Amino acid sequence: MGRYIIRRLLQAIPLLFLVSIVVFSLIHLIPGGAEAVFLNPRLSGAARAAIAHNLGLDQPIVVQYLLWIKGAITGNFGNSFVDGQTVISDVSARVGPTVELFGSALIFALILAIPLGITSAVRQYSIVDYTITFFSYFGISMPIFFFALIMQELFAVKLGWLPDYGRSSDATYASSFDYVLDYLLHLILPMIVLSLAFMASWSRYTRASMLDVKRQDYMRTAQSKGVGPIPILARHGLRNALIPVLTVVALDFGAIAGGAAVTETIFAWPGLGSFFIESLTGRDYPVLMAMLLMSAVVVIFFNLVADVLYGVLDPRIRYN
Amino acid sequence: MSTSSQVMPPSLPEEENIDELLTLTPQLARKRRSQFRIIVDRFTRNRLAVAGFFVLALMGLAALLAPLLYHATATYDPSTYINLRESPAFQVPSWQHLLGTDDVGRDEMARILYGGRVSLLIGLSSMFMAIFVGVTIGALAGYFGGIVDNLLMRVTDIILAIPLYLLLFVLSASFSNGSIFSVVLLIALFGWTYTARLVRSEFLALKEREFVMAARTLGASNLRLMVRHILPNAAGPIIVSATLLVGANIITESILSFFGFGIQVPLASWGTMVSDAKDYFLTHPILALSPGICILLVVLSFNLMGDGLRDALDPYLTER
Amino acid sequence: MGKLLEITNLKTYFRTREGWVHAVDGVSFSIDQGEKLGIVGESGCGKSVTALSIMRLIPHPPGETLDGSILFGEQDLLEISESAMRKIRGKQIGMIFQDPLTSLNPVLTIGYQITEVLKLHMGLDTQQAKRRAIELLREVGIPEAERRINSYPHQFSGGMRQRVMIAIALACRPQLIIADEPTTALDVTVQAQILELINSISSEYNSAVMLITHDLGVVAGMTDRVVVMYAGHVIEMAPTDELFANPRHPYTLGLLASIPRLDIGRQEELTPIEGAPPDLLHPPQGCPFMPRCIFATNQCKAPPPLRAVGNNHVAACWYDVNQPAEQQRAATRREARAHHLAMLDATAQAILASSQDSRAAPDSDESAASSSDGPATVTKAGED
Repeated sequence: MGRYIIRRLLQAIPLLFLVSIVVFSLIHLIPGGAEAVFLNPRLSGAARAAIAHNLGLDQPIVVQYLLWIKGAITGNFGNSFVDGQTVISDVSARVGPTVELFGSALIFALILAIPLGITSAVRQYSIVDYTITFFSYFGISMPIFFFALIMQELFAVKLGWLPDYGRSSDATYASSFDYVLDYLLHLILPMIVLSLAFMASWSRYTRASMLDVKRQDYMRTAQSKGVGPIPILARHGLRNALIPVLTVVALDFGAIAGGAAVTETIFAWPGLGSFFIESLTGRDYPVLMAMLLMSAVVVIFFNLVADVLYGVLDPRIRYN
Repeated sequence: MSTSSQVMPPSLPEEENIDELLTLTPQLARKRRSQFRIIVDRFTRNRLAVAGFFVLALMGLAALLAPLLYHATATYDPSTYINLRESPAFQVPSWQHLLGTDDVGRDEMARILYGGRVSLLIGLSSMFMAIFVGVTIGALAGYFGGIVDNLLMRVTDIILAIPLYLLLFVLSASFSNGSIFSVVLLIALFGWTYTARLVRSEFLALKEREFVMAARTLGASNLRLMVRHILPNAAGPIIVSATLLVGANIITESILSFFGFGIQVPLASWGTMVSDAKDYFLTHPILALSPGICILLVVLSFNLMGDGLRDALDPYLTER
Repeated sequence: MGKLLEITNLKTYFRTREGWVHAVDGVSFSIDQGEKLGIVGESGCGKSVTALSIMRLIPHPPGETLDGSILFGEQDLLEISESAMRKIRGKQIGMIFQDPLTSLNPVLTIGYQITEVLKLHMGLDTQQAKRRAIELLREVGIPEAERRINSYPHQFSGGMRQRVMIAIALACRPQLIIADEPTTALDVTVQAQILELINSISSEYNSAVMLITHDLGVVAGMTDRVVVMYAGHVIEMAPTDELFANPRHPYTLGLLASIPRLDIGRQEELTPIEGAPPDLLHPPQGCPFMPRCIFATNQCKAPPPLRAVGNNHVAACWYDVNQPAEQQRAATRREARAHHLAMLDATAQAILASSQDSRAAPDSDESAASSSDGPATVTKAGED
C-alpha cells in the first residue's frame, strides 16, 4: 500500500507540470491581459516599457513560464494585478469561507445521503423508496442557480427567516455566541443549496450499491447461518455496499477545488469561487493561474485519496 | 412438379399424435421477440421513463414549431424576441401573452420557446460532438492500448485535473463570442472525457472476447473490428451516457449563460432568461420560474429516460 | 434412528409476469437421523428450491411456499416464526452452497465468518470461538490454521473455500447438513476430496446429509438412498445400490443410459434423453415425463402416484419398465418413431426441392406454400 501511494505521487508530478503548462497558456490567451490592465495606452512609451520590465512582461513567453513555475513550487505566485498584495495572501483570505461552506455542505450531504440510500434499498418498492428516489431525481436535475434563487427568495426575502446574503451581518455582537449564531444562520441557506446535488447523487449511488449487494450469494449464506436481519444488513451488507460509494464521495470531495462559484456568487459568500469570477472579470492573471494550479493539486490529491480508500476498504485489493 | 408438394406425411400409430411431437420442444413453440423489441418492451414498462420521453417529445415539438406559432400571431423579431407591436412590460398572463411579458415588454412564452430552441440545440449538438470525440478517443485508447492509451489518458487526466467550471469560465472569456457554435464547442470540449473513459474500459474488456479473435482470423482490419464488431456491443452504455450527457450539458450551458459566459445578447437561452429575471423574482416570479422550471423538466426527462434505457439495455436481466 | 425430517406435499411456486412457475409441485420424502440422502435431477427440476424451502430461504417477492409441511423433529418448519427459524438455521440445519467464491463474504475474514455462528448459536465468547474455529479449520483440512484464520476468502483456492464453507456449516454440529451441488464449481480432482470430507465429518458428527446434485456419479459413492426429481416432482426413491441395479422409472433409465461408460466397449453414440424439460409455467397434466417417454400411453395422462416397486423402492410410473414386455413395446415405439421422423425429413426435403423447382414455374407456388405449413413446423420440432 505504501509503495502504491508513493508510485501514485510520483505519477502526479509530471501530470502537474503538464497541467501548469496548460494553465499558463490558457490564461495568457485571454484577450485583454496584463497589457490592458497596466499598460494604459495613454501612458508614454517609456513609462509603459518600465512597467512592462518591472512585471517581467518583456521576457519571452517561455521564460515567463519558467519564472512563474519556479516561484509556484515555493509558493510564490507573484502579486495580484488588482490589489498588489501577494497572490497567496489574497487566496488564503478566501480559502477559509469556501472550506467552511463546501466542507459543511459535503458533510451534511454525506450524513443524509447514506441513510436515505440504505432505507430506499431496504424498503424497495415502498412509498418511502419512491419518495426518496423522486427527490433524488429532482436533486440531480435541478440547476443549482435556480435552486439557489428560489431558496433565497423564499426563505430569506419573502419569509425573512434567514439572512439573504453574506457571511455575517454588519452589526456588532453582544457576545461571541451571538457571532457564531449569526454566522450559522448565514451558512444554512448556501450550505443546503450546495449540498442538494451531492445528496441526491450519493443517495442514488448508495441505493444502487445496496440493491446490488442484497442480491449477492453471501447474503444468502449469512441468512442460512441464522444471522438476524440487522446484523446481515450492517455487518455483511454495508461493508460491501459502501466501498464504491465512499470512493465516489472521495472523488466528489475534490470538487471543493472548483469552489462553489455559483452558490458563492448568489449568496455573496466571500469564498474562492466568487473570488475566481471576480479575478476573471478583472483579468487578474497571477491570481487566476495560481487558483487553477492549486485546484488541480487538490483534485489530484482527492483522486489519490479515493484510490487509496478503495484499497483500504476492499481486502481483495489490499492483499494483492 | 405439383405432385411432390402434395405428399402427405404417413400417419402415426394411434397412441401418438402430432401434438406430442410438438411438445418435445416447448421452448421453440413459444413466440420469440426480436432483441430490439425486448428492449423497447422493457423500456415501456418503466412509466417514468416513458413520461420523460413524452415530455421531451412535447417540448422538442414546441421548440421546433416556435417560428410557426409566433410568426403567425404577431410581428415578431426572433433575434431580439421583441414583439414589434409594443406591449407594456410586466403583463400578467393572458390569452394574448400566455405567460405574460417581461421587463421590456417581450412575450415571455415566445422567449421560452425560442430560448428552448437555443438550449435544446446546444444540449443536443454538444452531446453529439462530445460522444463522437469521446467514442473515438476511448476506442483508440482501449483497442490499441500501450503508448496510444497512455498518451490519450494523460490528456484526459490533464483536462480532468482542472475543475470543469473554472476551466469553462476561463475558456469562454478567451474564445467565446456568445454564439451558439462557440458555446457548443466549449461544452463538448469537456464532455467527452467521461465517455472516453467509459468506451475505453468497454473496449479493453471486449477486445479479448472470442468473437473479436474469430473476426480477426477472418481477416478483418483493425478499423473494421472496432467499428463493426466491438462498437455495437459497447453501444448500450454509450447510449445511456449520451442521454444523461444532454441533461448535464443543458445545465452547464444554463450556468454559463447565467453568469454571462455562455450565450450572449442578442441570443437568449433559458439560462440567460433566469439571469435577466432574477431581480424581479419577488414581484414577478413567473419570469424567472418559467425558464427555470423548463430547464428542470427537460433535464429531469433526460435523466429519467437515460435511467430507463440503462435498465432496458442491462444485459444481466433475463428475457423476462 | 428415527425420522429427522419429513416433507409432505411441498409446493413452492414463483410468481412471474406470465403466471406461477411450479418449481416444486407436491414433493414428499423423508430423511432419517444420520442418513445420507441424495437428491438427483437435471437443472430446473426443483432440487435446489426444495432445499431452500426447507431452510425457508426462498426469496419472497417472487417465491412462495404455498402448501405442504416440513416436520423437523416435532416442529413444522413452515409454521414456526421467523425468529424460531433463525435459531434452527446454522445450528440444527447447516447448508453448503454451490459456489464458494460468491457464497463467502469478500470483506470479512473467514475467521469472522466461522466464529459468527459459534458466538450466535453456541454462546461462546471471542476467545473460545476463535479456538474452536481453528480446530474446525484443521478438521476440514486447511493447513496453517492459526494463520489462515485471519485471511480473506479471495486468498484461498476454490477447494479450500469449499472446505471453509463446510467448516461453517458444521461448526455447531447440526443434525442435518444440506449440501447443494457442493462440488459442481470445483475441479474434478478436488471434487472427490470434498465429497470424502463431507462424508467423514458428517459420519463423525452423526449428522444426516441431504446431498443435491445432477451428477449420478457423485451419488453413487456417497449416499444411502436416492431421490430422483423431475419437473418439480419426485419420480423415484430407492436405496442407492437398488436404484442403480434396478431403475424403475423411464427417466431414471434414461439418466443411467446416458452416462458414458468405460466398462462397456466403444459405444457408437451417446443415448441422451430426447426432448427438453417441460415449461414449469404451464406444467402438463398427467405424468410430467410423458412427452419424452418412450413407454408413454394415453394412460399417462392421469398422473401416476409413487407406487411401491420393491423393497423401500417407489417409482411414479404406471408401467413396470423392467419387464421384457414393456421393453419390447418401447423398442417397437422407438423404431416407429425413428421411421416416422425419417419420413418427415424426406417429405421436407421433397418440398424444399419442389419449391426450388417451382421458382421457375410460378403457378405451383400457392400449392407449395399451403401444404408446407403442416410438415414444416413439425420437422422443426422434430429436429431438436
